[in-house]
Amino acid sequence: MWSRFQRHRMAMISGALLLGLAQLAVAAPGLEILLGVDGGRVDLYQRFQLPSLAHPLGTDELGRDLFVRLAYGGQVSLSVALVAAAFSAVLGTLVGLPAGYFGGRFDDILMRFTDGVISLPLLPLLIVLVAVDLEKLGVPADIAQSPNAGLYRIIFIIALFGWTTVARLVRAETLALKTRGFVRAAHAMGANEATVIFRHILPNVVSPIIVATTLSVGNIILLESVLSFLGMGIQPPMASWGNMLTNAQDLMWSAPQLAVWPGLFIFFTVISFNFLGDGLQDALDPRALN
Amino acid sequence: MGWRRHLVRLGSAACAAVFGFALPPSALAGGDLIIGISQFPGNFNPNINAMAAKTYILHMARRPITVFDADWRLICMLCTELPSLENGRAREETTSEGKSGMAVRYTLKPGLKWGDGQPITTEDVAFTWKVGREPLSGVTVLDFYKRILSVEVHDKRNFTLHLDRRTCDFAEINEFELLPKHLEAEAFAKPAEYRHRSLYETDTANPGLWYGPYRVTDVVSGSRVVLEPNSLWTGTPPHFKRVIVTTISNTASMTSNLLAGGIDYVAGEIGLTLDQAAAFRSRYPNRFKYVFKKSLVYEHIDLNLENPILKDPRVRRALLMAVDRKAISKQLFDGYQPVANSVVNPLDTVYDPDVRKVTYDPSAAGKLLDTAGWKTSESGIRRNAGGKPLRLQLMTTAGNRTRELVEQVLQSQWRDAGFDIRIRNEPARVFFGETVTKRKFPAMAMYAWLTSPAKVPRGQLHSSMIPTAKNGWSGQNYPGIKNTQLDETLDSIETECAPAANKMLWHRLQDLYATHLPALPLYFRAEPHIMPKWLKGVRPTGHQYASTLWIEHWRGNKGGGVK
Amino acid sequence: MIRFLINRLGGSLVVLLIMSFIIYGLIGLMPGDPIDEMIAANPDLTSEDVAHLKSLHGLDKPIMERYGNWLSAALGGDFGYSRIHARPALEILMPHLWNTTVLMSIVMALSLAIAIPLGVAAAYKPNSFLDYGANLISFAGISVPPFWLALLAIIIFSVTLGWFPAGGMETVGDGGLGDRARHMVLPVMVLTLHTVGGYTRFIRASMIQTLRQDFIRTARAKGMSDIRLLIHHALRNAILPLVTVVALGFGSLFSGALITETMFSWLGVGKLIFDSILGNDFNLALVGLLFATLMTLIGNIIADIAYTWVDPRIDLAAGAGRA
Repeated sequence: MWSRFQRHRMAMISGALLLGLAQLAVAAPGLEILLGVDGGRVDLYQRFQLPSLAHPLGTDELGRDLFVRLAYGGQVSLSVALVAAAFSAVLGTLVGLPAGYFGGRFDDILMRFTDGVISLPLLPLLIVLVAVDLEKLGVPADIAQSPNAGLYRIIFIIALFGWTTVARLVRAETLALKTRGFVRAAHAMGANEATVIFRHILPNVVSPIIVATTLSVGNIILLESVLSFLGMGIQPPMASWGNMLTNAQDLMWSAPQLAVWPGLFIFFTVISFNFLGDGLQDALDPRALN
Repeated sequence: MGWRRHLVRLGSAACAAVFGFALPPSALAGGDLIIGISQFPGNFNPNINAMAAKTYILHMARRPITVFDADWRLICMLCTELPSLENGRAREETTSEGKSGMAVRYTLKPGLKWGDGQPITTEDVAFTWKVGREPLSGVTVLDFYKRILSVEVHDKRNFTLHLDRRTCDFAEINEFELLPKHLEAEAFAKPAEYRHRSLYETDTANPGLWYGPYRVTDVVSGSRVVLEPNSLWTGTPPHFKRVIVTTISNTASMTSNLLAGGIDYVAGEIGLTLDQAAAFRSRYPNRFKYVFKKSLVYEHIDLNLENPILKDPRVRRALLMAVDRKAISKQLFDGYQPVANSVVNPLDTVYDPDVRKVTYDPSAAGKLLDTAGWKTSESGIRRNAGGKPLRLQLMTTAGNRTRELVEQVLQSQWRDAGFDIRIRNEPARVFFGETVTKRKFPAMAMYAWLTSPAKVPRGQLHSSMIPTAKNGWSGQNYPGIKNTQLDETLDSIETECAPAANKMLWHRLQDLYATHLPALPLYFRAEPHIMPKWLKGVRPTGHQYASTLWIEHWRGNKGGGVK
Repeated sequence: MIRFLINRLGGSLVVLLIMSFIIYGLIGLMPGDPIDEMIAANPDLTSEDVAHLKSLHGLDKPIMERYGNWLSAALGGDFGYSRIHARPALEILMPHLWNTTVLMSIVMALSLAIAIPLGVAAAYKPNSFLDYGANLISFAGISVPPFWLALLAIIIFSVTLGWFPAGGMETVGDGGLGDRARHMVLPVMVLTLHTVGGYTRFIRASMIQTLRQDFIRTARAKGMSDIRLLIHHALRNAILPLVTVVALGFGSLFSGALITETMFSWLGVGKLIFDSILGNDFNLALVGLLFATLMTLIGNIIADIAYTWVDPRIDLAAGAGRA
């Protein structure tokens, strides 16, 4: 399996790229110390500086170092994407597997519910969720007022909508697996439902789930940037690639470089995840349909 | 040589077909003006739903009876002279209920006609008043019309308004938007359905609805409004053959269209924000004419005076001293949005030039905070004797790029002074609908008001105007300031009309505001107009009555050729 | 099959009903109302005016009552007036719907026209230069942030090169077919780049799968030419799963692409719904959203039907209590 993965050159390159990116994101505070700058400090007299020794990629519209902000933005964008993807995968499996396995009325209801969620209008729900006062829900004030509250909110919202793809996928796989030879055999041998699910069905669904999740990470990163475009994503001053990009949209005449870098980072990250997922698919499940 | 000419024509037609290049119609027709704005009017009835985009367009084709001009002075547009106590057109009286009111007499200019030839008369005035007061009609400024207790018609051009109060601004009836009785009466037969049946919505291109230099001839919903000269207009003849107002909601598209020649002029009233325009200007300084007109939009931060930290006026003063507003203005706005020192705009006639100004003085701010009991700690954030941190939440409308930038600058500067500022933004509808109007913001709310020249900020500063659940959240005194001197001054300003005394009261008001700081004044916005170099005669106003009220004086020619 | 269809259609109507309730509730739950924003913009507006306007629009009535009113009218075909536009909601929706459908249909057709040959060619010669190229293009297409792409397109093709207009649907005074076509080029290009990637990968995978199957090997052994093989046998089998995917995207024909419509000022239904939700225009938002939902549900039904054709082992009717 690993050798099959290695054959997929693009996936290997992507994997390496992503590891490097992750390291950059994690090292963001270290970068600040290295360069001797404070990523959050506004310096009105250093706006739009071109790259220099002090600022390797220049400064943004408030005089903050672009490189450091990109690193912090990476922290945010990557953590949002990975955590949300993981949540979606878990939720999706919890819905899709029973639906596919037990079938019947149960399946009908679950799938109609899934259909409903897919068809839910994202926007009013987002506005409501964004506007909800966390403290009213019982979240302690410390967390609710911390700068990370927006982060948790976004992860929650994305996971709330993202599980449907995985659910449909898992259900389809389960349906197909259910009729396969080895499952029938297990039934014939008298195994109870739980055993069949956990020992036979689940391990075989894991691979498509992993592939689908990896592929979804890219979509989530794009979704986060779109949400920032609509003003409902990560709020400043917290940096995320998405909100750096939308800020820069207004400045495309005076400082186009501010739009290029976050966009490039998003692009390369997403494409890497996609190649990675593709490679994983070839390695784990070479016979599967997309 | 006919065949050669044919060939050339064929050739160019072929080229045009292949490359899709057609000469822009404007170059052929000579005299189109294409204006870009950032929103499309939702509807067209002047009295229903207040929207800046709508006002901008409607002002090309309609005129109010009185209005503020580009110098912020009240003038007559449809009346012959402004009523005053001196010229006898205004007099004090007692209303039928025994309250003190006023009777104000206006005379409409002779020869005013609706676009279909019908004369504009006091019948239209009376009809408009009826529609305006009808609660079911959907008119936005119901209160304004209700203040007019009755309309007394003397003849076709003279009428008197009986007002229910005595204020100094009695002559101002800028919001009185005339409706053509002969066209709208039928739609108003069922008042509850008026806003759906009004001809302004069902037949927007009807000439009878318009009486300015232009009239609306075509509307493509969501996209553009086309106006052409009104042949019955009796004032200065308008210059342009067609004015096309097109909506481009996205800034990047707006500027691209401007550069590509798709639009000629980005309206300052409802186009780009100042920093967007300034950024564009730094890139293309010589290609267009840039006019940044200081406006009456007052950006400020309301302070919730019930917050225990903000109760102390020293803390409020320290907040103001700890930020370098001049640098913000210079660096973010190229100096075009100068620092505000009080709620009154420096260009306003009632501005007090000697008003107390607070300058950037971080060390003084620090000392003040020390006196107030907030001492520095190692983390950099100050704490009081009880160990409580100097933490405040700053809120504003999410998605507003400029405000978010300013927030971050302020947060950073305040951090240097020892404040721990937490930013929390909300969508505008939530912010205005719940948070600000119900005083739910814990500490600071940053937003802007649009005010009028010499408008008394009673709703914002009078102690009776604090919104509470009991009074149905009526009033705009969001900080919750309760100061008797302020109340007295506000009460007197509206009734003491003698110019000298009135001015003194205004000065006193500004002084009290600067002393008690219910809000932190930030700056007054500027309207950024990006005009083609050939366009002349445009006079931006800086207030809610758009420059299009004088569109008949605009002139210029695009000149020949494709871009 | 018929029973299945009736079942699903009936289920869809139920979903629509529930959706209308949820949407109405959600919009109603959104705190604040655009009327509140008017106060900051109009110095002559008082709080009493705001309160009065709110009651005029029925905003002070309980949400259930308002929903009930809406529902009883809607069931009779009356979808009410748009609050923002003061015109019947359906009247506002239709032109926007048309604009979106035209745009998205062209995008879908173009994407398929590019994706199918590309995917087939890539599958035919896996791991070749062509395959890598096709892969790269498709991955790139789905990885680019849409508004960044739109921005770049505007900067390059409109401002710098001047080939295409920077937005809008037609030039004033023109509006002919050529003019409209020119305005469509950039939005179509941006959207197609995004969708073509997904379709290409799908076709490629599907074709590779099909080409591995025994009947292909048999036909090849029998001496059938490659092209005939590809088109007549392999493609026919590989196409069915694609129908599934396309059907799932059916809904998007009617819900539009908010970002692209905003960037290019394309008067589509995506932006209309967005604005109507933000503007608390219940009637317009509901009409738009329900229509989009209906189309999505229909697309799902088609997709499910197509799915059974792909994998005959899956018997959807088996869920109804047999086996």
